[in-house]
Amino acid sequence: MKTSVVGSRVTREDAWGKVFGQTKFPADVNLPGQLYAVVIRSPHPHAKVLSINCDYALEMAGVVAVLSAKDVPHNAHGVLFRDQPVLAEYVRMVGDPVAVVGAETEEIAREAAKRVQVEYQVLPTVFDPEEAMKPDVLPLHPSLRPTNVLYHMPIRRGSMEEGWAKADVVIEKEYNTQHVDHAFLQPEAVLAHLDERGHLVVQTATQYAHYDRGEIAHALGLRFSQVQVKTLAVGGAFGGREDISLQVIAALMAWKTLRPVKMENTREESFYSHSKRHPMRMQYKTGATKDGKLVAMEAKIVGDSGAYASWSINVLRKAAVHATGPYVIPNVSIDSYAVFTNNPFTGAMRGFGAAQTVLAYESQMDLLAKEIGISPLEIRLRNIFKVGSTTATGQVLTSSVPLDQCLAKITPYLQRGGESE
Amino acid sequence: MKKRGIGLGCSWYGTGYGNGFPDVSSAFVEIHDDGSATVLTGAVDVGQGSNSIFAQIVAEELGLEAQDICVYSGDTDATPDSGTTAATRQTYNTGNAVLKAVRQAKSSLLVYAAREFSCPTSEGIELKEGYIGVKGDPSRRVPLADLVFQARLRGERFISAESSTARSTPVDPETGQGAPYWPYSFGCQSAEVEVDTETGVVQVLKVVAVHDVGKALNPTQVEGQIAGGVTQGIGYALLEELELNEGKIKNPAFSSYLIPTALDVPNIEAFFVEDAESTGPFGAKGLGEPAMLPTVAAIINAIDDAVGVRITSIPATPEKILKALAEKNGEVKKH
Repeated sequence: MKTSVVGSRVTREDAWGKVFGQTKFPADVNLPGQLYAVVIRSPHPHAKVLSINCDYALEMAGVVAVLSAKDVPHNAHGVLFRDQPVLAEYVRMVGDPVAVVGAETEEIAREAAKRVQVEYQVLPTVFDPEEAMKPDVLPLHPSLRPTNVLYHMPIRRGSMEEGWAKADVVIEKEYNTQHVDHAFLQPEAVLAHLDERGHLVVQTATQYAHYDRGEIAHALGLRFSQVQVKTLAVGGAFGGREDISLQVIAALMAWKTLRPVKMENTREESFYSHSKRHPMRMQYKTGATKDGKLVAMEAKIVGDSGAYASWSINVLRKAAVHATGPYVIPNVSIDSYAVFTNNPFTGAMRGFGAAQTVLAYESQMDLLAKEIGISPLEIRLRNIFKVGSTTATGQVLTSSVPLDQCLAKITPYLQRGGESE
Repeated sequence: MKKRGIGLGCSWYGTGYGNGFPDVSSAFVEIHDDGSATVLTGAVDVGQGSNSIFAQIVAEELGLEAQDICVYSGDTDATPDSGTTAATRQTYNTGNAVLKAVRQAKSSLLVYAAREFSCPTSEGIELKEGYIGVKGDPSRRVPLADLVFQARLRGERFISAESSTARSTPVDPETGQGAPYWPYSFGCQSAEVEVDTETGVVQVLKVVAVHDVGKALNPTQVEGQIAGGVTQGIGYALLEELELNEGKIKNPAFSSYLIPTALDVPNIEAFFVEDAESTGPFGAKGLGEPAMLPTVAAIINAIDDAVGVRITSIPATPEKILKALAEKNGEVKKH
């Protein structure tokens, strides 16, 4: 199809404001008479909140309110399950918010936050997902799952027995990936206020304004029509702005005090108030014939979901579906697990489970190629998906599978460079 | 000694929410009396440039320029729900919703124009360069603004609301069999690295990235996504790691949690392959997430090519490289 505007290098409308520093991010907007709110976060990875003493904080001039779990009408939010408290009575990770201080200035709010005394009953912890999977370990979400195994996805295709019988070369290896932060440049910030209609207006940077509206409305017992979420400029997201961070807390403070409320995370607070990329332990066994055809693959993938479910089910599903790489393998057995621990919760991040498995399946390809004595390019060309190929889930790829064209384009760049001192 | 190596990584990515999860985007379009247009959509532009893509789609359909289109997004009081800016879905999914919406408004505009030009079918009408008129007869055309303004006087307006839902089904929970995502996006990258065998430091010298985008709706933004993805992939492969002690983050600061700086970013050569996806807007598929996927594999494979050690745990820090080199040398000495 011949197009003129589509396919052209149109300059982004937002480019000018960003280059000239005129773009308004949520931290840049303010309202007269606004309060500043600061969250008190748990220093413990697993604990019950026994009591919260706000007296010393409320004594300070300029402190307007201290809110905790008892002040939240419906104290839960979450993308798949509402398993995450707005303000926790039961803490599952370091950094869980337990109370929020509202004050006339940010300095007063931060000082007052230090004077809120929270008494915790510390509970047993588990940080290793494989340990956490054991049936005798205290489950972190008994109302969701009887053990800490949040999700198991099996993929079964073909016959493993036949597959291994055909394999001339087998590579077996374990791969591990780490917790990663989205490291977006703009820490979370929110401005919440009640407007002249009596509607709650929340200005923030999010990946999904309509989801945020739903969670705010649910937590406060409002209709969608009474809550407006307006997205200001977003300074990077990468999945880290999918779950709720400060939006509900700021809205709650505005609703309770009838004052505009501004919140802005420090970088350290930001690290604790959004999800992380799932660390995964991936045990791979891949077999090929001596002419480089993949015939069998077995994988066990364990992902650390951390304290809350967030998108873990979908992430570990995506890891499983993509675990073979873009290659035809007729005999496949994959088991992928998402497991609760007391680590920071993990969720969406660019690549979403398919980013971890690349390390494993592409390392396996190079190791197989070396063992067989063909080039890394050659082993890939012999196995890549084409139109009509069937994936490990039995899906037939019916159109637009141009990996062969991609490899053709990159081939001239695969020449080995020289050494230098 | 500094040793160089080249590595290759391939990847694939099923775009959209997947597994039968409702993946719906919506858009409202209004064609104004002066021949410009507005599109309203919930899809948040998180910096990747979706608003520009939607402006281009509307402009293309109406024979206008991108700057003639106002895109307003991400405000729940004004825009319809278009799902999350995630899952590499906004160009594809909301792009489809915007395309359906503009085509709906356009179809009533064409019907109206056909009557005005005594053309028995709207197939004979075209929108081009801000004009609307008879296909093949450049003498019979009027500015779009004139026609839309005249139409208002007769009580006709060209506004629309449309939704688009991506194709996806749940897999069998016992066997994992099914068609969970559509479409899939493919790509490959090569990395050339230099490994310092004394310090274990890996320097990425060059990355070549080739990605399947169906159709590049805006090549500059494709290159931007690739540059960002490669940079994030370098951080993932070599630098970034949240250090935890009993669930407490030991490095919650950019002085200790290291992300790539300008000095860590190599020369990146970005290419794309256009093999139209029939279900995508103008054949397009998303690129947001795929752009970062192959980088880690290309770098880890390049390290092996350079110094003969296989790093299986990322990030490939200097400590891990030196340890692997020492183990390798130890093995060599034993023989």
